[in-house]
Amino acid sequence: MLIAFFEELGLATSFMLRFFKQALRPPFEFNELARQAYLTGYKSLPLVAVTGFIMGLVLTIQSRPTLAAFGAESWLPAMVAVSIVREIGPVITALIFAGKVGSGIGAELASMRVTEQIDAMEVSGINPFKYIIVTRVVSATVMLPVLVIFSDAISLYGAYIGVNLKGDVSFQLFFLQVFEKLKFIDIYPAFIKTIFFGFAIGLISCYKGLHAARGTEGVGQAANAAVVTASLAVFILDMIAVQMTSFFM
Amino acid sequence: MKQGSANKIKLGIFVSLGLLLFTAGIYLIGERRQLFSSTFRVKGIYKDVGGLQVGNNVRFSGINIGTVENIEIISDTSVRVDMVLEEDTRKFIKSDSKAIIGSDGLMGNKVVNIVPGTSAKPPINDNDLIQTAVPVSMDEILYQLKITTENSSAITGNLFAITQAIRSGKGTMGKLFMDTVFAENLDQAILNIRLGTKGFEQNMDAAKKSFLLRGALKKRKDKSEDKPKEGK
Repeated sequence: MLIAFFEELGLATSFMLRFFKQALRPPFEFNELARQAYLTGYKSLPLVAVTGFIMGLVLTIQSRPTLAAFGAESWLPAMVAVSIVREIGPVITALIFAGKVGSGIGAELASMRVTEQIDAMEVSGINPFKYIIVTRVVSATVMLPVLVIFSDAISLYGAYIGVNLKGDVSFQLFFLQVFEKLKFIDIYPAFIKTIFFGFAIGLISCYKGLHAARGTEGVGQAANAAVVTASLAVFILDMIAVQMTSFFM
Repeated sequence: MKQGSANKIKLGIFVSLGLLLFTAGIYLIGERRQLFSSTFRVKGIYKDVGGLQVGNNVRFSGINIGTVENIEIISDTSVRVDMVLEEDTRKFIKSDSKAIIGSDGLMGNKVVNIVPGTSAKPPINDNDLIQTAVPVSMDEILYQLKITTENSSAITGNLFAITQAIRSGKGTMGKLFMDTVFAENLDQAILNIRLGTKGFEQNMDAAKKSFLLRGALKKRKDKSEDKPKEGK
């Protein structure tokens, strides 16, 4: 069991090193990168937007009674904004991204491997690692932060609706209160950690897909393993990011 | 237009919008921290800043005009607070204005309130020292409250002793309220005074009619009638 774990870790590390080696070496597959960015980023926007809106709305509705007990309802926009921007926005969006994109990459790569398309690429002279892995990992790394920005903005709008369900706060006052309490220390660490989340999701999904067992069963297993491992990685990275942020604060 | 090209345009718009939102967020936060507006600095020296932190708001007439930039201990009895304020407000902050550390509500953050000075004075300069006033801390309020409570306790103790003494009939007040013999004596004394006054009145009437005193009384009456005429 322990040997199998270390073997897996060693394989994953060599996979990551191979990724960096291939990613930094020309030629670069910009067209495929743009296609993957479109699929992972743009196509994920509706799902992220809906979940972001609900997240902001629900968080506000749930937080209101506790704050009302202290007579601090006016703190609702600031509290919800800090929660969304610092933690909930990046983590929830990353989990949704892992569910949608991670499973997609895992299943796609696993089926490519099962149907021997990757071997066929190698035969035809295309570097499959560069064409398939690098483009997907880079697109996930770049697109997740952009999606998190959208998610945060839409969540804040959801929070504004949530505040106005039982109260009366103008749009201008709501966002004034939000930006009154937000600081750069809330924005930058959250933004930087989403880059790592995206990278981890892309890399783990590709690794799980590429190392899928032969047969159709392996496709399902790869997709499942990609989502589970990527989600776990998001939480572990988040814990490290929080510790690092609190160290510098 | 090819499908691939259309997708690239969509992707471009998507990324641009994302970056625009991010930039807007950064700008709005920066604006609250006066990063993109003209500012000036003032310093205040305090003995105790009462939990003031870097980033707390500075207010003038209740309006946020800046933030606390730095807090530094400069000696064992004094702390220097550097504040960044909007340049537009400098003309209203006179050289004798005072910066007082207060609190934003009961549970709120600390704030620095700048109290306007006299209008005849010139505006404060960049990097000038602003006058400060010692903020009333919660500990001080509690200490004063403790002294007041102790005093109240002493007063109620004394009042209790006095009422006890009255109830047991000690002292003049005690006798007045509780001693029935004293009350009867007092009644008798008042009755005697009344009888004495009546007797005195009768004597005076008799004296007025007496021929021995009639002349003297008439002279006195004339004198008192002449006095108002002289006054005219």
